[in-house]
Amino acid sequence: MLDSSALVAHTTRLELVIRHVLAGLGHGIHAGRERGAGVEFSEYRAYAPGDEWRRVDWKLMARADRYFVREAERDSHVAVWLVLDATASMLEPSRSIDGLTKLQYARVMLACVAAIAQRQGDAFGLVVCQGERAHFTPAARGPRQLQRVLAQLNRAEAAGTLPGADTLRASLHFTASPSAVFVAGDFLDWPSPLSEAILRLRRMRHDVRALCLQTEAEAGAGFDPALSYRDPEHDPESGQGSYRFGSDVRAAYARNRDAHFAQVVQDCRRNDVPVLCARIEQAPGEVLRTWLRKAVRA
Amino acid sequence: MNSLWWWALPVLLLPVLWHRQKREQTRSAPLASARFLPAAQPKQLRVWRWSDPLLLLLRCLLLATLIALLADLVLPWRGDSVLVVPGTDPALVEREAAAMKDACRIALPGRDAVNWLHAHEREFKPAARLLVVGDMAMPATLPRFQHQVVLRPQAAVPVQAERHVAVFSERPDAWRRLFAAPQGNMRTVVDPRPGAQTELIVWDLPQAPPAALRAPLWWVGDARLFPELARPKQAGAIRYADSARGRLWTMEDWPLADAEGARTLLASWQRLAHAPQPWTPPPQVLLADAKAPAGPARGALREALSIALLVLFALERILTHVRRR
Repeated sequence: MLDSSALVAHTTRLELVIRHVLAGLGHGIHAGRERGAGVEFSEYRAYAPGDEWRRVDWKLMARADRYFVREAERDSHVAVWLVLDATASMLEPSRSIDGLTKLQYARVMLACVAAIAQRQGDAFGLVVCQGERAHFTPAARGPRQLQRVLAQLNRAEAAGTLPGADTLRASLHFTASPSAVFVAGDFLDWPSPLSEAILRLRRMRHDVRALCLQTEAEAGAGFDPALSYRDPEHDPESGQGSYRFGSDVRAAYARNRDAHFAQVVQDCRRNDVPVLCARIEQAPGEVLRTWLRKAVRA
Repeated sequence: MNSLWWWALPVLLLPVLWHRQKREQTRSAPLASARFLPAAQPKQLRVWRWSDPLLLLLRCLLLATLIALLADLVLPWRGDSVLVVPGTDPALVEREAAAMKDACRIALPGRDAVNWLHAHEREFKPAARLLVVGDMAMPATLPRFQHQVVLRPQAAVPVQAERHVAVFSERPDAWRRLFAAPQGNMRTVVDPRPGAQTELIVWDLPQAPPAALRAPLWWVGDARLFPELARPKQAGAIRYADSARGRLWTMEDWPLADAEGARTLLASWQRLAHAPQPWTPPPQVLLADAKAPAGPARGALREALSIALLVLFALERILTHVRRR
């Protein structure tokens, strides 16, 4: 298991990170109704890179000289939806670990959830909220879908602000099947179209789990007083809104921030949405485990 | 007094500060949770870099020139010098200056060598040797200079001075007797008619003098002929007034027969017309005195500094105008 989030900063290969993070996590702890591969045979399909070797039918391979994978009968209709907040504020770096941003951390978290879903045989899809648009990847199963989702996650660049409420409502409209919705973001905008969507999905009886990412510096109010700061989302590069940090405003900052996240947690709790506030300097494996367990308990 | 202007030199700091570049604080980092911070004005950093260095240089030079002009800058440029009092025998100058071969000769404007030297002393280099030759005037106190000054006086041969008087009187003989009295090395010549040299006109006639007649001093017998003497000022026995013809003196009773009164009158005239002649000091060496007060400034560089100021001002204006376009 990946002990330190420093390694997250060192690679962009999500497959590698997933393998490390999920080492020891097995097939996940999601209470899926799917019992694993090959319980009740359904069909053969051609092997695709990423399929587990143990699911390859070796006898068939000996006969046909081609790899075939035994597909199991599925009774799981749970779709996993990954929602990534890729607004400009997700570029916030960890001030103690070089090269680590909230976006990278959220990518890793969602990629792990996607990998777990893929191993369990659940369908999973991705919604990236970026630059006032929602990039939508439809839900599907299988290793190819995992590659697709990982590519989409890798491609996501943090920019702009959240999409409008109408766009999100159009994108997050999966009402047909019961879904597990994993939302990773910083929730600095609250209430926002995203928060409304989360609460609405929860009211539609989807299983919504939120991961609220923070940095050590944010939590401990430890910024460099020599710099001036600007809000990346609300007044980018306009030269207006300049902010100053110092020992005199530390208390006010902590007060404002605590009030904001208290509101976030209270809203989530009131709507029965498990939310985990995690720092990106924490080990991804631990955070993932806590997040999933919290979701199970909730 | 003028050198107090040097204290104005810190004014040069003003353009230096004005030209210092202001730069907005560019080190501004994005901070996602900046919304929890109170807003602040963007800080402006002053950096030690100057805009328009040429203009800054011109402005500093302009101010420095102005201060130098006001402070009456004097640069020491004279070396060893022989100061020659006018009327000195060239042979004596040669003899005295034999030890200072390459010293330059400075012809003094008058006998008062000490005052001249005091006013110009700052022009001499610190190591300059000074020699004063001729019939200089002896100052009342021993002069102090920052240079060593050698005085080689030469007492001038007293010359018989003359002064010319024109007498218009019904008793000319009495007046001639008066002027014939001995008056030191001064001799009074009574001219038959007034000329350019006439210093005194004696008007002892009952009629008014012609309007064109002028002289520095008039001795008037009948004060009623001169309306200026209606309200005269009094000095001893003499009443006097100034008129367009010259200064008028009148007395109740001209001392033509009184020897004591005549002496007083002539002495008064002597004091008025001719200042007392100073003595010639004895030959001596005035040792250098580092604490001697600097002489009054003379504006030696005033013209050059004024021209420089004008040129710098014009250049500064031109450059400022060019920069604005």
